[in-house]
Amino acid sequence: MISRDVGAPGGAGRAAHAGSGVPVVSLRHVRKSYPAGGRAGAAERLALADVTFDVARGEFACVVGPSGAGKTTLLRCLAGLMPPTSGEALFEGNVLRRVPDRVGVVFQDYSRSLYPWLTVNRNIALPLKVRGVDKATRAKRIAEVLASVGLAGVGRQYPWQLSGGMQQRVAIARSLAYRPDLLLMDEPFASVDAQTRFELEDLILRVRDEFNVTVVFVTHDIDEAIYLADRIVVLSASPGVVAEIVDVALPRPRDQITTKSDERFARYRQKLLGLVMAR
Amino acid sequence: MHRDGNGIAAGSGQQAAAAGTAGRRRVPLLSALGRAARAVAWLWLFAVGVAAWWVLSAHSTSLYFPPLEKILRQLYALWIAGSARGQLAASLEQFAAGYAIAGLGGIGIGALLWSVRGVREATSPYIYFLYVLPAPALVPAVMTIFGIGFTMKVVIIAFAAIWPTLLNTLDGMRGVDEIKLDTSRVLGLSGFRAVRSVVLPAAAPQIVAGLRNSLQVAIILMVVSEWIASTGGIGYFIVNAQQAFNYLNMWTGIIMLALIGIVANLLFVLAENWLLHWHYAARAKEAR
Amino acid sequence: MRLPAGTAAGAPVRVPPGRGRALGRLAARLAVLAAALGLWQALSESGLIRADEFPSMTATVAALGHQLAGAALWAAVGDTMAAWVVGLLLGGGCAIAVGTLIGLNGFALRSVTPVVEFFKTIPVIAVLPIALVLWGTTLTMQYVLVAFAVFWPLVIQVFYGVRSMDPTVRDTATVLQVRGGRRFFVVVLPSAAPFIATGLRVSAAVALIIAIIAELIGGGSGVGVRILTAENSGPTAYPVMYAYILVAGLLGVGLAGAFALAERRFLHWHESQREAARHAP
Repeated sequence: MISRDVGAPGGAGRAAHAGSGVPVVSLRHVRKSYPAGGRAGAAERLALADVTFDVARGEFACVVGPSGAGKTTLLRCLAGLMPPTSGEALFEGNVLRRVPDRVGVVFQDYSRSLYPWLTVNRNIALPLKVRGVDKATRAKRIAEVLASVGLAGVGRQYPWQLSGGMQQRVAIARSLAYRPDLLLMDEPFASVDAQTRFELEDLILRVRDEFNVTVVFVTHDIDEAIYLADRIVVLSASPGVVAEIVDVALPRPRDQITTKSDERFARYRQKLLGLVMAR
Repeated sequence: MHRDGNGIAAGSGQQAAAAGTAGRRRVPLLSALGRAARAVAWLWLFAVGVAAWWVLSAHSTSLYFPPLEKILRQLYALWIAGSARGQLAASLEQFAAGYAIAGLGGIGIGALLWSVRGVREATSPYIYFLYVLPAPALVPAVMTIFGIGFTMKVVIIAFAAIWPTLLNTLDGMRGVDEIKLDTSRVLGLSGFRAVRSVVLPAAAPQIVAGLRNSLQVAIILMVVSEWIASTGGIGYFIVNAQQAFNYLNMWTGIIMLALIGIVANLLFVLAENWLLHWHYAARAKEAR
Repeated sequence: MRLPAGTAAGAPVRVPPGRGRALGRLAARLAVLAAALGLWQALSESGLIRADEFPSMTATVAALGHQLAGAALWAAVGDTMAAWVVGLLLGGGCAIAVGTLIGLNGFALRSVTPVVEFFKTIPVIAVLPIALVLWGTTLTMQYVLVAFAVFWPLVIQVFYGVRSMDPTVRDTATVLQVRGGRRFFVVVLPSAAPFIATGLRVSAAVALIIAIIAELIGGGSGVGVRILTAENSGPTAYPVMYAYILVAGLLGVGLAGAFALAERRFLHWHESQREAARHAP
């Protein structure tokens, strides 16, 4: 299930896995700069300088890096929300021109992403309606996906009536409802308390298996990245380049207690901290 | 007490749902009574005021300030049971038509301007000009084009009342949270559908604020246009009574007008609370 | 009452980066103006707009120029402005005085606020006939009416302003032994200032509208009266009527702009103004 991919600069070359097919996500020398706003002639801000990596089907890839490394910018490029200034961003082999149908995104701030004028059911129904799913199938899918995230029975409530952890689960459910090929997550558990975060981490691993979806997960929490990932892409500080791609060879299924007390976990942590904190 | 999110098993959802309703059941009767009492508490000052008016004017022989009791009787006789009902209906029809056009037009044009940036930027100074132009100044002009009948009144009411809604719609839509827009793109909404399902609901609180201002403007223009055009309606009735020295009737008209304002606002607030319940409830929750 | 859209009194468009964009925008706006004026003239000349209903563009512009050069227009503006200023000062003064007095007492504030909110829903113009009865078609009537209209929205804002005073500010003043009149002018009023500013902006717009209504109904000699007189004089005077309507609009723009400038100057220390200043053109 864990596929390795063609190597990226900064990492050792890796053998291509036979039959892995077209990578779900493919970035080649992606560069993104912003005009700095204000009067003309102000300096541009370079968010990403040169990012190249692939994510294979079914893989769980985490992106870590110090603040300002451009992680969120990278995610938005991956989603098709923002075109790169130069370089290529491909989704399933096609150049990203707009947000593809088969991509789901979970933002960090669930209170701003979930629509407060719709109930949980209606929030989840929205992407299904857009894709032409009929009413009966919609109801079934919504019930299924809510059950998968452990929120059966919450459908008629409004998102703001739920607590933070539950709202983020609704956001995850909404993204999964239309069975995307790729799930992008932008520091999704940063705004919930630690206890809830562990539960949500396990949830996302289970959900990844259940829905067989490729995940790219941006986080600043190294422990979280090691716990979740098959591979970790480390971005250097601004402007962002790929410092290294680390394979995480910890056994699956992962467990909060045994995996985190594995001595390999500590070695990975040491290595990644070193990479992230290096200048 | 566990925070939610414990127990990934399906039970937790039901737990949460139960907790939501259980909270409502636990509100004691006393607290509910207290809230009701507070809601009407402010009426005391108003009630005192009315009572004072009644008592102080009871033996009035002044032509200008007849006893409140007489005024109220006459009000009933004219406006509820009698001849002035038609005038009232005419005014309200014009108001309703003008306000409807202003509301729908304001939202529609506001949404249109939001979509086409070039047009918006090119026309915004002129729209602003029309917004700050005191609408009553236009009444004589509108009269020369449309005469003094129903059409004229609807036109001036609509033309004056459209601007607050239009500008607030535009502002509200421009202020919609970027994450909501990003989410809509990810979910696959585009173009008209995104506007209808995401941008307009997100902007709804501000749009409603605009509609409220438009309501006030519409009422003013309803009355002022009748005052100047002098053909009928409650505005005309008041001014006519005043010029005919029939101050009793004038007072009934004034109170009737006040009632119209109060009722219109009340209905508006009710509609607003129904439409935007999610907004106020979410805000209240945040504040806690 | 017409209330501002909740934005600063400038046009609701932020300045984008790049001078090229700004020039392009200016060009687009001028083009729109030229096109509108051109269309107006074309419609008039083609007969699609009847001359006895609506004057031609050139006639209106000529009338505007003529009036601007003459004394009559400025006298009219002066008269309208006089009613506006007196009403605003009168109503504003009462609102601030009453508002702070009541606002400083919690119970009074709580009892009175809902009543005032209630009275705000009554159309102020309902009071016009009473004012006519009491003062006839005099200047006093106009002043009182404008003051009355200004009072209600402003007093509510003063309530909010006084009530919202930062407890830290209040406690600091107490510790520093600032009392009485000095306390009022140096601590309370500046704290409430942003709310008062918003209220004044709203009231100023309302005052202009009521001033013109008072003229249309009650006579006098301001811009509103000129409009009505021109309308009564028949189609030959319509260009003059529209010229005065334009003047009324320019008055509205001028007042709104003046208030925005004043707000920026006197409240530059307040966060909202500092924020606005950062985005200012």
